[in-house]
Amino acid sequence: MAFAAPQNPSRVHRIPQSKYIDAVRWLSPVSALDRFAAVAYYDTDTNSPSIEIICVDPNPQASSPILTPQSSWTPPSRISSLKTAHSTHQPILAAATFSGSIHILVSDLINGGTVESEATVSELGFHSGPVSAVDLREGGTECVSVGEDGRVNLVSFVGDSSKLSYRRIFDANGLVGYTAVKWASPSEFATGGYGFGLQWWDQRRPGGPVSQFKGNWCQGKTSGIVHSIDIHPSRKHTCLAGGSSGTVFAWDLRAQQQPIVLSGAGTGEAPISLLSESEVWEVQYDCYTRSSNIGDISSTRILPIMICSEDGILAVIEQGEEPLELLAEPCAINSFDIDQQNPSDVICSLEWESIAILTRS
Amino acid sequence: MVLLIRVSGGDLLDGGVHVDDDADLDTRWCCEVGAAVYPFHHGLKSPISRLSISWSRGNSLRVSVFAAPSSVESVEDDAGGTVVEVKLGGGDGEISDAHWRRIAYGSVSPFALLQSRKNAISSLSKMSMNSSPYDADWWDYIMEYSKDINALLGSQKPASVPVIDDPKSVIVKGEEPTNLKAAWELLEMFYAEKPSHLCLPERLVDWLADFDSLFSGTHPTVHSKLVDFQKELVNLQVVEDNPKYWEVMSSALAVGWLDIVVKMLRLHGSYQLDQLSNRETENGLVEAVAVLISKMPRMRLDQEAGKLGECFKAKPDFVKAREKWRAQINKLDSSAFWFQCAHLQTREGLRSMLQIMLGNANSLCSATCHWIELYISHLLYIRPLTVGLESMYSLAQKSIQLKPMASAHRLMGLIIGILGENTEVVLAECLKGFGPWMVVHAIELLTAGSDHAEMLLLEERPNLGGINIEELHRLVYAQVLSSHPLTWQIAPIYLISCMKHGMVLLQILLSKQPVQHNQLLLKSIEICRLYELHSITANIMKIAGVHHWKHGRKGSGVFWLQQARDEYRLNRIAQQLFDSVGKTISDESFKQWEGLIQLLGSDSKTAGGLEFLHKYRDFKKSLQHVFDGKTTDAARRAVESLISLMKNPSTPQRFYLPLLYDSLKLLNWKDRPLLNVSQTNLLLTKLQDLSLARLRPDFIESELPPQALNSVRLALATNLGRAILEE
Repeated sequence: MAFAAPQNPSRVHRIPQSKYIDAVRWLSPVSALDRFAAVAYYDTDTNSPSIEIICVDPNPQASSPILTPQSSWTPPSRISSLKTAHSTHQPILAAATFSGSIHILVSDLINGGTVESEATVSELGFHSGPVSAVDLREGGTECVSVGEDGRVNLVSFVGDSSKLSYRRIFDANGLVGYTAVKWASPSEFATGGYGFGLQWWDQRRPGGPVSQFKGNWCQGKTSGIVHSIDIHPSRKHTCLAGGSSGTVFAWDLRAQQQPIVLSGAGTGEAPISLLSESEVWEVQYDCYTRSSNIGDISSTRILPIMICSEDGILAVIEQGEEPLELLAEPCAINSFDIDQQNPSDVICSLEWESIAILTRS
Repeated sequence: MVLLIRVSGGDLLDGGVHVDDDADLDTRWCCEVGAAVYPFHHGLKSPISRLSISWSRGNSLRVSVFAAPSSVESVEDDAGGTVVEVKLGGGDGEISDAHWRRIAYGSVSPFALLQSRKNAISSLSKMSMNSSPYDADWWDYIMEYSKDINALLGSQKPASVPVIDDPKSVIVKGEEPTNLKAAWELLEMFYAEKPSHLCLPERLVDWLADFDSLFSGTHPTVHSKLVDFQKELVNLQVVEDNPKYWEVMSSALAVGWLDIVVKMLRLHGSYQLDQLSNRETENGLVEAVAVLISKMPRMRLDQEAGKLGECFKAKPDFVKAREKWRAQINKLDSSAFWFQCAHLQTREGLRSMLQIMLGNANSLCSATCHWIELYISHLLYIRPLTVGLESMYSLAQKSIQLKPMASAHRLMGLIIGILGENTEVVLAECLKGFGPWMVVHAIELLTAGSDHAEMLLLEERPNLGGINIEELHRLVYAQVLSSHPLTWQIAPIYLISCMKHGMVLLQILLSKQPVQHNQLLLKSIEICRLYELHSITANIMKIAGVHHWKHGRKGSGVFWLQQARDEYRLNRIAQQLFDSVGKTISDESFKQWEGLIQLLGSDSKTAGGLEFLHKYRDFKKSLQHVFDGKTTDAARRAVESLISLMKNPSTPQRFYLPLLYDSLKLLNWKDRPLLNVSQTNLLLTKLQDLSLARLRPDFIESELPPQALNSVRLALATNLGRAILEE
């Protein structure tokens, strides 16, 4: 398997943390100098989870950037999913936990990067068991949460109530479990689950998913779980998903049941480059990589995407091209985030209790 | 109230568990016996009636404290008991748990790389029947491995070099050295750097310079003398009047810290401009000694920038230069200038330094603090050409006789073991002083070049259950890794390198991992995939499937059982699913089922008995069309799926009647009979089977109106008549 070598080597810094990192997200900066990130830690020795706001100081003198913790907040249990909204004046975080609660946090980056819980939903029956994924709508007034219990909940937080109200959009009673969710538009979102199944939901048409992408499309042999979904704001008809067996595929709603396989299992016939054979934990559209043939802006072409995987690969995939490997770690890369303001910078959480910061040049 | 758990010596909980109000008394008792005390608060108000202690993960104890049932029921908020985890042993004082984990993570790649190279070399030598598997590359690999591990243990370089050199700062503070790094560097220099044996004495000098401070805790050291003097130095006006100045310099010179000595000599008062004129001779002597020190010939390969002494790589050159240098010292020692030196302390101090350089055994002995320092000084000034571990060992023995160890230090034990060429002692010291990580990774160095050690460590031992010492230690280390929720996933790397028991233990380890959360479950499956443990994968998936199923996550359960291709369990859960199907697969709840049915797919192999659901859904769908549109085509399709459902052996008998009852409209189709004679006969036979099945005690009645059976019979009979007429 040949990988395209990066034309310009990127700078990578690995910063040991002494705690397990469940998730990591950039926060939109308030000034040009300060960079902040939110990190969901889990301390196995004391069994205590925490969400910390850290200041990333590039520190040109020293060999690696310095991470300074600014503030910390303790959730009731370990974080299963962490998302941020960018288009708000203060960064808003949505954190979902293994005990089935959702917390909306607001961070004040100007006054010392404090973080405090704005609101919480944790009542019995919100989710039974862990919340597997949560997504914040841009603008940060609503978030949608899904779980393996088959519940799809919509949490809205307009107003200043510390107790959030939520609305059950659907309850599959455990017959279907959902493991990923992503907003597509103010009223639509997509979910993913077992057997590489995807569902499209529209709040204007309640009662169930409006469209389903049939699971088990690869004939059961290499079936798996969707771990992450991304939808590009300019191409709302395409739903990008990453999951087991190194599989990254796109579902174009206009071509109902035919997946566009970008990496991994595939349908067998086409020689699709195999980047990784294990779980793809996260997928995101990569706004830094410019598509090589800029003239080809056909809406059927999938924009460049970045993935991270269980076998330690961080790579950029472009449709029809050799994947570009950015990192190959000896341990898993659990999550990553591309800085929206400064897309050359990527922050990753590594399984071996460290954070990697990658600057592409 | 404080609860004390007594843990004594070898036998855990030998002293039992005592609940005691008087904490002080118990602490005293424990100190006397040398047991550890772990106080903790259980926060219970009522008296304790019972305690239960069990192992938790790692080396934590789980202590369950039960309160006596209180007779007064008014205390409602008081808990009836509590569970506390007590972590035993603080581990290594100088290295935190998180740091140990970082070392464990970092050593995975070098270890795995070395193992794969070893395997490649051994398979290559088997092919070519080459007698010597160790070639030049081999030493490069070993050295690379050792350097990689060494880098993990911290860097020795000072964090930042001050821009303005303070003349009065004698010692530069770098990163705090650790015993672990010191031990690894010892192993590296004796076992990995085979070719540079001639330079071993100089390597030891460097080693002591880096790590002498480690002995300060338990022994007086030259380093601690220097640190003490450094504090005084700031307040001293005339340094040369202070006897400590000369004492410290002699000591530093004895252990070969030349740059420190020269720097200190330059603090001598005679260098000051106002005194230079009347202390000319004195200053000349000081400078002469300083020059002699900085010109000291040294037998070493390379010299770090800023370090003093002249390097020689070849023995004859070195011997010649050393003779010349000693002659110069002798000449200075017997010169007449000493009589013109008025300052007594300077004269005495400088001449004793000359004695050290000339290798006067008594001077060396009095200048050094512990035996390693004495040993180093002997290597520097008396026997710089000591070659071979045997002579180095006898020299060490001599040093220990002159300066007996007041208390044992783990590094000292290790040095003696290495010099004595006693592999067992080295291993034992590594294990005792630094734990299982050290042993596993040090064995790679120990066996690198020594056939004797290789034989000793790789010989299969019946008393160890047929495994060798190397495997034993790897298994122990893997066990340590497995006991922590974060490090268990690197244990497979070490288990897989164990020929005899590794694979079995790996299978046990993987089978014992929790399956509740997908991330952990997928991690276990990933490890199984890497080592091709397909049966374990299937087992894990089955466990996960049943777990999810039990917790009401039916979709997840079905998925994992399907992945495991566990038809037996799929059929079993199918029976349970069917119970709820009859009730809930009505039109409004159809969307819930839709996802599950899609997940099942059309492949009956992986769906097990659940294949029925798929067909049932199709039938319901077509029936829906019939009710919506009433076209004969739709009705025909519905009939087809009804017939195929009824023909299919996987259709449970208890669904016969509901299916037929649902299709009453088809049976009584207005325009013409939709079923032909044979089809109707089939349905009638099935109905007959059903009435026989109903006699069995385990038959489950479907919830239908009581007249359902009769109306189906009637419809079928009518249809049969119509069909016969039509044919």
